[in-house]
Amino acid sequence: MATDDPTDVLVIGAGASGAAVAWRLSGAGIGVVCLEQGDWVDPRAYPHWRADWELHRQTDWSAEPNVRRLPQDYPVNDRASSISPLMYNAVGGSTIHWSAHFPRFRPSDFRVRSLDGVADDWPIDYATLEPFFDLNDRMMGVAGITGDPAYPPKSPRQTPPIPLDTLGATIAGGFERLGWHWWPSDSAILTRDYDGRRACVNCGPCDLGCPIGAKASTDVTYWPKALAAGARLVTRARVREITLGPDGLADGAIYYDREGRVRAQKARAVVLAANGIGTPRLLLNSRSARFPDGLANRSGLVGRNLMFHPYAMVRGTFDRPLGGHRGPIGCSIISQEFYETDLSRGFVRGYSFQVARGLSPIASANGGSVGDRVPWGREHRRAYDERFDRTITVAIIGEDLPEPGNRVDLDPALADDHGIPAPAVSYTLSENSRRMLDHGIARAREALGAAGAREVAFNPLLRAGGWHLMGTARMGRDPATSVIDPAGRCHDVPNLYIVDGSAMVTSAGVNPTSTIQAVALYVADGMTRRRA
Amino acid sequence: MTPGALAARRDLLALVLDTLVPASAGFPGAGAVGLDHVLAVAAASADLESLLWRGLQVVEEAARAQGGSGFAQLSPDDRESVLRQVEQSHADFFDALVRHTYDGYYGHPTVVARLGLDPGPLQPRGHRIEAADLPDLTRVTARGPIYRQA
Repeated sequence: MATDDPTDVLVIGAGASGAAVAWRLSGAGIGVVCLEQGDWVDPRAYPHWRADWELHRQTDWSAEPNVRRLPQDYPVNDRASSISPLMYNAVGGSTIHWSAHFPRFRPSDFRVRSLDGVADDWPIDYATLEPFFDLNDRMMGVAGITGDPAYPPKSPRQTPPIPLDTLGATIAGGFERLGWHWWPSDSAILTRDYDGRRACVNCGPCDLGCPIGAKASTDVTYWPKALAAGARLVTRARVREITLGPDGLADGAIYYDREGRVRAQKARAVVLAANGIGTPRLLLNSRSARFPDGLANRSGLVGRNLMFHPYAMVRGTFDRPLGGHRGPIGCSIISQEFYETDLSRGFVRGYSFQVARGLSPIASANGGSVGDRVPWGREHRRAYDERFDRTITVAIIGEDLPEPGNRVDLDPALADDHGIPAPAVSYTLSENSRRMLDHGIARAREALGAAGAREVAFNPLLRAGGWHLMGTARMGRDPATSVIDPAGRCHDVPNLYIVDGSAMVTSAGVNPTSTIQAVALYVADGMTRRRA
Repeated sequence: MTPGALAARRDLLALVLDTLVPASAGFPGAGAVGLDHVLAVAAASADLESLLWRGLQVVEEAARAQGGSGFAQLSPDDRESVLRQVEQSHADFFDALVRHTYDGYYGHPTVVARLGLDPGPLQPRGHRIEAADLPDLTRVTARGPIYRQA
């Protein structure tokens, strides 16, 4: 087996959190090697440069690895899950595919046990993370407006908000008529040139990547700076297992390189940043006599408490064109009217409304996230024309509570191209989440009606909605009920850190990437002070 | 079924596609602009090609059962009636057929242009959004904080 030069810190995964950690550590003079199973994405390779761009959403640019099936992907057995996990394997990770909706967790999200008697409190709080939220905002570049009463005051946003345009102004009118909260979304998309990156030209499908770097994928934000600071990034490097030294500490990893050769990378500390499915998969694949049930898994909680954020989608159809094909697809408006717990609603915790842009031509025909295909036959033309460019979709993103039965395990038969056992995901929507989504569907119908929709359709649970992978190696003070400590270190292996969505104690009712990255920077800050 | 067998039935397939999305209101029928895409995706997947080929056999059999000599000889109304039967009896075939037809049709530059959009690549042109004042958020902020301190 070939052995690479040892380093101070080995980071596994070059996505949202791994990039942030690599930048912070390398900037402090700490040696960093990052192993990433994907490649750099060539900006010229994005489908936006081709006329048939929309067809690629269902094939090689699908967010589902089981559909995309690129060489750098691994299969996921999701037959026992009502939600399909989504991810991307590349430098930038799933920030290549994300819509860059960038809300933070709120203060109450870190205190759910104390406030609402469910799940667990985080061992850290909003105030602790606030400087890291701000730092991360500056690194990613955020479009928005300060003053949102749903949050404590925030630092100035880097650029003005994404324009609401006709579609956004229409649904905002609905929220206004009902007297509900709404706010232009914080989006990690530049509306002005910033930090050497270009402003968005409103081409639309951010979910297929951003070919001009206006959207903050970490290949264009953190990584150039991390590499300039001396970090080394090895692509097409698929880690098979994390290795332990005789002292029981992590001492590196064994991986397959681009040519399929087995190599070893030694390090004084290891940081896992492989997402909420990839990280438990790797820990469970790193079994040894010392850890027969998987590395750092004496609690038995590695892979447990998987949280996705269940989505329900509600679509209103209007009598006039809304220009929904213009502008970033996922970023328009957020409403947090029903975010904090009110038990009279029949569930605990809450949700956000996220208003996305309209549907592109093919998506309109196939029903988009609602999935109701336009009828075929003689009625097709009329039905299609009544839908195209005349819809607004409101997504309900509900807080998923941690449940041990929702989990990532290893599949006994399925493996990736290197023979490494693949993850198997089991997930059942809880009764609390179901009630929450049903409440959200009813309220979204109200909002769309108040905005002037003449017809409303909905999808009660979006199957292809597993963008957010959380909770599978959660943080806590007690080694019996958590996998990592408040500093991000595994209780069982104190020089093994976890910084991706696996670390999340709870999921909140908003997109998690801003918070995942803030936690990663907070963990890296501690490593820097301790010199890893 | 031999490779390319579906392409050999392209005339029948075009008629089926035209029944799914008939020419109307200045839009072409799917047989004219969606056919090449359906054949291309089928050529890339033996399973899909087989599914579509066998489905076309079913369509022809259902057409003959209506007393005609085949799907092509039926009136437009009868063609639609036949396809509605097959949609019920062979759902997997029909689902794949409609999906790939819609993909090819609404991905075609002629149709995209007819919808009023630029059919070319999205980059580097992007979309123009007229500048507007920042939204009036007075009412929202007037409520004061709506988050819980923790």
